[in-house]
Amino acid sequence: MNTKSTLYIALVLFGLIVIMQSTYIVQEKEQVVVTQFGKPVGEPIITPGVKFKIPFIQKAIFFEKRYMEWDGDPNQITTKDKKFIFVDTYARWQITDPLQFFKRLTNEKGAQSRLDDILDGATRNFIAKNNIEEAVRTSNRTPISADSLLKDSLISINVGREAIQKGILAEANLQTADLGIEILDFRFKRINYVQEVQDKVFNRMKSERFRIADKFRSEGQGEASRINGEKERELKKIQSEAFRKAEEIMGDSDAKAAAIYASAYNKSSQSKSLYAFLKSMETFENTFNSQTSIILNTDNELYKYLKKME
Amino acid sequence: MAEFQFDPQEFQDRLKRLFPNLKIIIFGIVVLITVFASFFQIGAEEVGVITTFGKYSRTVDPGLNFKMPFVERVYKVPVERQQKLEFGFRTVKADVNTIYKRSKAEEEESLMLTGDLNLASVEWVVQYRIDNAYDYLFKVRNPENSLRDISESAMRQIVGNRTVNEVLTVGRNEIESNLQILIQEICKEYTMGIKIDQVVLQDVNPPDPVKGAFNAVNEAQQEKETLINKAKSEYNKVIPKASGQAEETIQKAEGYALERVNMAQGEAARFNAIYSEYIKAPEVTKRRIYLETMSTVIPQIGNVIVTDQKGNVLPLLQMQIEKQKAQ
Repeated sequence: MNTKSTLYIALVLFGLIVIMQSTYIVQEKEQVVVTQFGKPVGEPIITPGVKFKIPFIQKAIFFEKRYMEWDGDPNQITTKDKKFIFVDTYARWQITDPLQFFKRLTNEKGAQSRLDDILDGATRNFIAKNNIEEAVRTSNRTPISADSLLKDSLISINVGREAIQKGILAEANLQTADLGIEILDFRFKRINYVQEVQDKVFNRMKSERFRIADKFRSEGQGEASRINGEKERELKKIQSEAFRKAEEIMGDSDAKAAAIYASAYNKSSQSKSLYAFLKSMETFENTFNSQTSIILNTDNELYKYLKKME
Repeated sequence: MAEFQFDPQEFQDRLKRLFPNLKIIIFGIVVLITVFASFFQIGAEEVGVITTFGKYSRTVDPGLNFKMPFVERVYKVPVERQQKLEFGFRTVKADVNTIYKRSKAEEEESLMLTGDLNLASVEWVVQYRIDNAYDYLFKVRNPENSLRDISESAMRQIVGNRTVNEVLTVGRNEIESNLQILIQEICKEYTMGIKIDQVVLQDVNPPDPVKGAFNAVNEAQQEKETLINKAKSEYNKVIPKASGQAEETIQKAEGYALERVNMAQGEAARFNAIYSEYIKAPEVTKRRIYLETMSTVIPQIGNVIVTDQKGNVLPLLQMQIEKQKAQ
């Protein structure tokens, strides 16, 4: 019984190992190349499920089927207009032909290293051929201005960020065509001035802001002066107009009064003499008071009868 | 079965003594493992994606679910949970007083070039949900990392196409909505199975070294407003007052005119009245008026000196002086 059971157990174990060696499970996210003594055989397996192979002789090598990351090192590049910038990029890529991939690149590490060469190279080429604005800007849009006095404008571009990205992607995909991989997308993650230039940029930004601040201040002063001038003008206008009108009114009435007087006094020579007489009488009444001394002759009409009745 | 293989002889004897129970125990263990491997729970905010021999078979809803043990595998994906990625800062501890972190790495993450080649520091949050569990699991490796890369790239693309003033002031809402659209587009292209719910801009500032200069602009703007307001208030103080004064001058002139004309008319009327009588007896009237006037005028006069034709002062003078003394 002992020997029999040992044999039985050994047989079962052997059977299990054979099964394990001849089947393998391919997950949804995987694809497989089967090799025989290190040499790939048959078509690559790209569908998930249970798969079979010749045990012991054949070996299943698993590859990723999903999109994978590629993250570029921040590269310091000089643009066409001699700006020192660093460009940080990323890409997403996929193994499209596992067999070719296995032959050319062996594994992911090899692929990443090739992608470094290809994408960094293409990035350098494209950035060096363009001005910095082309890599930063996408389109020639008209910016919205917050203040009508602060008109912003952007210099116009010819290529633009998206076109450069697409260009790099196309160039890189040409080179990856026979590597069994395809780059889905390539993008600039970060573009910035190198540290040494950044301080200069800050200084430029500062001076630009101070210029704007000065502009605001002088605009304020100008506007205030304008209002002040307007005030003075308005003031003079109001005052002079009032004066003119008042003088006109008064002159008018003076003329009217003169006409009235003239029509009354100027009727005849008698009216004239009466007027002169009344006026002088009036003047007496108005001018003589207790401080006045007068000397009257007895010949005067008033005292005519003082001496004798006649 | 493996236990039999490496058990020594003496241990086998002991097992034989336990033989009646051993079968039950092993059976029990197997049943338990099978049950645990067959039933599983899906939380309220998740779905379960099940693969059979590695191949996708079905997606199950929250609750208690069953799968074939050992053959099927379940991936739990939180499709209902809103997740977020932070850029330019990190929440260390979310609480009533949330603690944020912003180190050198986050600062670099937020620093970006604007279209007019200025620098701005932009902090933002991307809120997203997984809307396709299959894509999320099987189409992209590390989808969260991809989303982070996409967001950074998209934000820089949008900020790179705007002026620093737009980014800092008027453009906020527009940037948010455009960014959401752009990220969603790229996610779709990558088949990430992610839906962007919202993009929220947090602090958008000029970089620290130039903050002072930006504040100076704000101050200058305030100063400008103040100057203009002062001038306007001075204008408002002076002009209405002057208008009132002008009106006063005119009214006074009109008053003068009325008075002048009325007086003239009055005087003329009086003169005419007198004249109409005078013309009837000029001499008498004239004399009467003269004498009447004199009789009212002379008493008011301080000194009246009457002389005769020869110029002798009449004694009247003396009387006048005495009269004054008596007073």
